[in-house]
Amino acid sequence: MTEPYFDIAVGVASFFAGVLGALIGLGGGIIITPLLVLVFGIDLRYAMGAALCSVIATSSGAAAAYLRDGISNMKIGLFLCIATTIGAVCGALLATVLDQSLLAVIFGVALLATVFLSLGKKCGPRLLPGDSDPLALKLELPGEFPGPDGEKSAYGVAAVVPGFCVMWVAGVLSGLLGIGSGAFKVLAMDQIMKLPFKVTTATSNFMIGVTAAASVGIYLKKGYLDPALVSPVALGVLAGAFVGAKLLPVAPVKLLRVVFLTAVSFIAVQMILKGLH
Amino acid sequence: MIIGTMISASLIAAGLVWYLTAHVGQNPGDHIFSGEPKFLEKPIDMARRAFDFDGAVERRSIAMLGIFLLLLNPPLRVLLAGAGYVLEKNRMYALISAVVFAVLAFSFFW
Repeated sequence: MTEPYFDIAVGVASFFAGVLGALIGLGGGIIITPLLVLVFGIDLRYAMGAALCSVIATSSGAAAAYLRDGISNMKIGLFLCIATTIGAVCGALLATVLDQSLLAVIFGVALLATVFLSLGKKCGPRLLPGDSDPLALKLELPGEFPGPDGEKSAYGVAAVVPGFCVMWVAGVLSGLLGIGSGAFKVLAMDQIMKLPFKVTTATSNFMIGVTAAASVGIYLKKGYLDPALVSPVALGVLAGAFVGAKLLPVAPVKLLRVVFLTAVSFIAVQMILKGLH
Repeated sequence: MIIGTMISASLIAAGLVWYLTAHVGQNPGDHIFSGEPKFLEKPIDMARRAFDFDGAVERRSIAMLGIFLLLLNPPLRVLLAGAGYVLEKNRMYALISAVVFAVLAFSFFW
């Protein structure tokens, strides 16, 4: 395929990846990279660079709305960003030395893990501020968020150190694979630190952008960012995520999730097989 | 923040069209990894080249500039949050913001 048709096709595919990502709650990055590699035959490293930029675009686009709602917890976000950004730099540096086929295998495994995590149930019992981890109190982490009736409800924060460690791993994966690793961030905040789900998603959205920015500087230096590829991917995913968010209230989300999580598992296996060849 | 995202998105879109007009009919070069030319690495060179309209090969610099603006968004957010904590005289979080910002700066400028 020649230009400009190639870029148009990539843009359209990215648009649908963005819509899908928003609808089934996976980030754009983890869908778009296998698409670029398996369907368009693009080198994994370029695909990862493009996906990472699209992750920053969607995070920046969505963060403004979350900040306005006052749900995201900036203190938790910033504190945990120490772990994710350091992890991301480690991961990105690792990505530049690892063999590409090994990266493809790791990508496939992470994709399967993401599917598994997004199948798990999201709501644990809520923690009261008084029951927080003492370290959380010292770090001023507990907060409150506006409920549906406008009344503010306070929440506590558990297990700061384990949460911080899982965040570091999420950061490494983000840098290593060029993904937002939102599913792993949600795991740390929701399951381990026992934050309310709304706070988790809003805060992880802020963190995803900052984490991705920590990897992208290194990708930029190593020449993983080809503007001719990044442009259609970032624009496509950004537009797609916007449309997807609008469709969310009316779409048959449960059916879509079952169908596409199955499809994504299949893609994950394809990535692993490609890596093993 | 939304405005910033939109500005960089439109710059990328404009750059993409500008780049494609010079490359109609060519094969895209994304299939084989070759690294990017050195001039795409430094923002200042990038800005200079973006407005140097002679070289068709360097037309992608405009899109790259838009991408670069997009990438600046998260560090900027951390910086603003940090400034907010300084104003609040919250030393601990001013310091935490500074650490995160330092890691981001390391990634871009090491």
